[in-house]
Amino acid sequence: MKPLSIATALFGIVSTVLAAEPRQSKDILPKDFKPPQVFKNANLVHIISLEKNYAKEQINAVIENVSPELQDEYYVPFTADQLSRVGGFEVKDRKDAGAGRFVADVAEYDPLSDVQYYRIRLPTPLKAGGQQTLGISFYYLRAYKALPALIDQTDEQYLSYEFSIYAPSAYPTLKQKTEVKAGSAKIPDYTKLAGTGDVPEYPQKQGTKLTYGPFDEKPAGASSPATVRFEFTKPVIHISALERDIEVSHWGGNVAFEERYTIQHLGANLSTQFNRVKWAQSQFMNPNSHALKELRVPLQVGSDDAYFTDTIGNVSTSHFRSNKREAVLELKPRYPIFGGWKYPFTIGWNSNAANYLRRTATGGFVFRTPFLEGPKQAEGVEYEHIDLRVLLPEGAQNVKLLADIPESSIIEHTVGLHKTYLDTIGRTAVHIKARNLVDEFRDRELIITYDVSSSITLRKPFIVFASMLAVFTLAWAVGKIDVGFSKTKQA
Amino acid sequence: MAVAQQNALLGPPSQSSRTLLRVVILLFIAGAAIASRLFSVIRFESIIHEFDPWFNFRATKYLVANGFYKFWDWFDDRTWHPLGRVTGGTLYPGLMVTSGVIYHILQALTIPIDIRNICVLLAPAFSGLTAFAAYLLTNEMTTSPSAGLLAAAFMGIAPGYISRSVAGSYDNEAIAIFLLVFTFYLWIKALKLGSMLWGALCALFYGYMVASWGGYAFITCILPLHAFVLICMGRYSRRLYVSYTTWYALGTLASMQIPFVGFLPVKTSEHMPALGIFGFLQLVGFIDYVRSAISGRQFQAFLITVLVATFGIGLAGLVALTSLGYIAPWGGRFYSLWDTGYAKVHIPIIASVSEHQPTAWPAFFFDLNILVWLLPAGIWLLYKELRDEHVFVITYALCGSYFAGVMVRLMLTLTPIVCVAAAIAASKLLDTYLVKSPSQTSTSEAGEKKAPKSADKTASPLGVSSMVSKLTIVGAMIVYLLMFVSHCTWVTSNAYSSPSVVLASRMPDGSQHIIDDYREAYQWLRQNTKEDAKIMSWWDYGYQIGGMADRPTLVDNNTWNNTHIATVGKAMSSREEVSYPIMRQHEVDYVLIVFGGLLGYSGDDINKFLWMVRIAEGIWPEEVKERDFFTARGEYRVDDGATDTMKNSLMYKMSYHNYQSMFPPGKAADRVRGVQLPSEGPVLNTIEEAYTTENWIIRIYKVKDLDNVGRDHFSAAAFDRGQKKKATKKRGPRVLRVD
Repeated sequence: MKPLSIATALFGIVSTVLAAEPRQSKDILPKDFKPPQVFKNANLVHIISLEKNYAKEQINAVIENVSPELQDEYYVPFTADQLSRVGGFEVKDRKDAGAGRFVADVAEYDPLSDVQYYRIRLPTPLKAGGQQTLGISFYYLRAYKALPALIDQTDEQYLSYEFSIYAPSAYPTLKQKTEVKAGSAKIPDYTKLAGTGDVPEYPQKQGTKLTYGPFDEKPAGASSPATVRFEFTKPVIHISALERDIEVSHWGGNVAFEERYTIQHLGANLSTQFNRVKWAQSQFMNPNSHALKELRVPLQVGSDDAYFTDTIGNVSTSHFRSNKREAVLELKPRYPIFGGWKYPFTIGWNSNAANYLRRTATGGFVFRTPFLEGPKQAEGVEYEHIDLRVLLPEGAQNVKLLADIPESSIIEHTVGLHKTYLDTIGRTAVHIKARNLVDEFRDRELIITYDVSSSITLRKPFIVFASMLAVFTLAWAVGKIDVGFSKTKQA
Repeated sequence: MAVAQQNALLGPPSQSSRTLLRVVILLFIAGAAIASRLFSVIRFESIIHEFDPWFNFRATKYLVANGFYKFWDWFDDRTWHPLGRVTGGTLYPGLMVTSGVIYHILQALTIPIDIRNICVLLAPAFSGLTAFAAYLLTNEMTTSPSAGLLAAAFMGIAPGYISRSVAGSYDNEAIAIFLLVFTFYLWIKALKLGSMLWGALCALFYGYMVASWGGYAFITCILPLHAFVLICMGRYSRRLYVSYTTWYALGTLASMQIPFVGFLPVKTSEHMPALGIFGFLQLVGFIDYVRSAISGRQFQAFLITVLVATFGIGLAGLVALTSLGYIAPWGGRFYSLWDTGYAKVHIPIIASVSEHQPTAWPAFFFDLNILVWLLPAGIWLLYKELRDEHVFVITYALCGSYFAGVMVRLMLTLTPIVCVAAAIAASKLLDTYLVKSPSQTSTSEAGEKKAPKSADKTASPLGVSSMVSKLTIVGAMIVYLLMFVSHCTWVTSNAYSSPSVVLASRMPDGSQHIIDDYREAYQWLRQNTKEDAKIMSWWDYGYQIGGMADRPTLVDNNTWNNTHIATVGKAMSSREEVSYPIMRQHEVDYVLIVFGGLLGYSGDDINKFLWMVRIAEGIWPEEVKERDFFTARGEYRVDDGATDTMKNSLMYKMSYHNYQSMFPPGKAADRVRGVQLPSEGPVLNTIEEAYTTENWIIRIYKVKDLDNVGRDHFSAAAFDRGQKKKATKKRGPRVLRVD
């Protein structure tokens, strides 16, 4: 583990600092809001990568302030449908890695409008005529449609993705290029465009990559719908809900994790009913399948006592390897999960608190854990709703937390109380709700600092002892009472 | 504790240290009783076992989720589709309420224990209490200080009781045996003291017992029998009168509070003995009073008149009420207690349950081991003293032995009394050969009630002073007891600790491999079918489907409607043309069967198939005939030689559908029946395979919807296979429901 100083230093550099109190309401923009035309994109490269079962889009843009004033708000447009599925929105300065991540949030205005905006706040306002290189990245969940929608269990699966050839932008773009990286080199269908210059036709195809452009100046909001259909014979894993509970115990020196997943396969459904004979044969001959057979969950080194259950008990088809170098939980669902099938399950494990918990010099505690520890699959995992709950010891105060994920992904966070295991005042529970994240955020951290006084730590054993004593005293007192009638001789 | 033990070892222990020692021993016994029931949890997991417990578990979850009153009025439309079941009024709620109360207490203490774990561990926890109840009961029988502890130890580990109370076996018997023993203890206590308080307590626990298990009828019959025997022996006393009438009046009122029991205590023949003895006691009490008032000769005439008149009127009344239908005649299960062949002929559904079969003799030794031969010795010892409570043990032991002989399941009711009687015999033996020589007896303190008694015994000529015979007998006894312990452990571990939902096998390298096909299929059903998809399966799996797959079923283990079960039996055993309309009429979406052919799992549906045929034949003797499923030589075959009826039955087709393609051509074999199968597999037209588990134990078929273009399924399926239509026949318009 890294020394504590790094953990505390993280407070400084991470952009998303959350205070324990509820977030203040955002300023709401007027209903007829249009982003002021104060920027133009001097150059823009739009990279759409469809290699995972979510779509990752990156927009690298050189923006230029064309207004006479200082400007610090840059808007990125989405359609209303996209906005509900977009997540993990992050912005960096491509030229200056040390600047950290910019603050970005959803600009709230007319909820019925079809165009919605993310607002990026530049850390230092851009002066008139100044240029800055933004690297914007975000992810779309539920990104694909299977085409054909019904396939046989041994067939290959094809997914189609709809996008705009011109990058969505609220500002005029002088020069742009769009690259699409498909999940495989088999791309039977894609939208074609007449070329310009010496290129006869867009896109240019190189292996798995399709390149549209470069194009010359396009006005703000220019769009040209396009579709790409590519082979993706891998499961399309979608986790519609993840509940992650972390229980920190000072007395036990233990941190207990439990995660409840609701997993769904969003790929092509089966055209006929499941056939066990074919499945057994295809397992033997051609293990490549669009069914989900196994999930690998790498845990923190030192994790222990892992379990894998579902609503009707332990799932015996799991393996847990834990040694000095790694701790991997290999999960095999009870049945292969095909398109349209569901499989909710629960996993959990314990770990030594020393791996996660540090005492600060001032007597407080710092608890650090990965925000997400879900399955790590080659095809990627997407999370629609994440409900993270951290139970701190009873009586923990002064809770401060810091989540190293894009602020726009966090819906709400609260600090409450939760009573369990003979608690009298209840444990401090930190509750964070997030949405639309993908497994690329696995290594992001959650840091919580809090104080617990030692008198409150001793409270529970004392209360348990006192109540037991009271029960015994009561039993003794009741035993002393003579409730019988006065004894007369038995007949 | 250590101090107490030292005291006990060094010198004559004081009374309080004896009590402490006894408490500690009882705690250890309870601990052993609980620990020996945890094999399945340790080997597998904390899981509900078998069939009925799954229903109890589901009902408990419903109770915890919806509260008591909703549970009381629970109408379950997810079983017995389309009839539904008035579950709240047709179950014994004691078990569920007990775990519900425990759950809420733990919740109030903020101990977050899952309701499943409470259900799984309820039976072991109550077995500890049963051991304690056996201790109390035995202490009422004898003055020997060790008999009670021995009885508790026997009760704790006797396989006959463990068989129904291992962890996960969340069935009514889990708490009922404790209630049974404890009610008997209270009865003896009430009888001995002639106390209304104890009689009322007895009635209270009797009420709890009625709320918990249908076997309460055993108490309802044994207590009157005991009273009757006592009266016949001329042992009528005020004590008997007070305790019996208190128990009967309050106990019957308590039992009538359970909706499932209701007015049965005054309406059915099973309850009549208790009522009869109640009346008889009044009469005897009256006569007793009259005798003290009038002279001898008059009394004789009076007695005979009264007796004859009452008996005649009572009997005539009973017969009249029965024939008029006010009192239900004896039920079928009752008759099968007297004639073990009765059920097989008249009610195959009862006979089809393995636990209703007559007991094989080795089962007695298997379940009771040394207790079997200690029982007669104990009875003889009690017979020598023959106080009122000893009469009870003898009556109970005789009835219990008979019933245990006719029905495997009733071994359970025999076990407690065997433990009591055996403990009395064993402790007597040990006391005689182990306890102090006469010189020491004088030092035994007088504080203990028992002390003078045991002193008498050892002082009597029976006392043995020879060291050799002492050592021999005590040594032999210790060896027997140790063998008993190891036998119990072995039986529990090997015979009674399998959840039967999960099967264990060994990998080639010796590691345990779990065959989890049942849950694989149930979970698949739960996640990937419609919420209200109706599942048809044989009734054995009804509770499991309800509990694990959470889907409506047609029939389940609560076999209240024989016709409905026979309908399912008919659908399974008929040709597709007959079965399909039946399934459509019952809105069946999926059919689930168990097939062990690939793995060699013998408890599969083909082996149970004849029961389906028999039960269906009971209702439709014209359409389903058991004979047709046997070859001309009377063999039950599934290979090439199977009869056409067999080969065309839906069950056969579903079991072997597509099975041949797992093997090289012509090599398909059924590993349960040990036969080669025909090279051509059966063809299914009206249903299609929806899911088959990894080891083929569960196969689920989907019932096809009506054809889109109005063909029947046979021509549609033939068309799909590429066969030409032979001749076109005119057909009527498409009908939704085919009768």
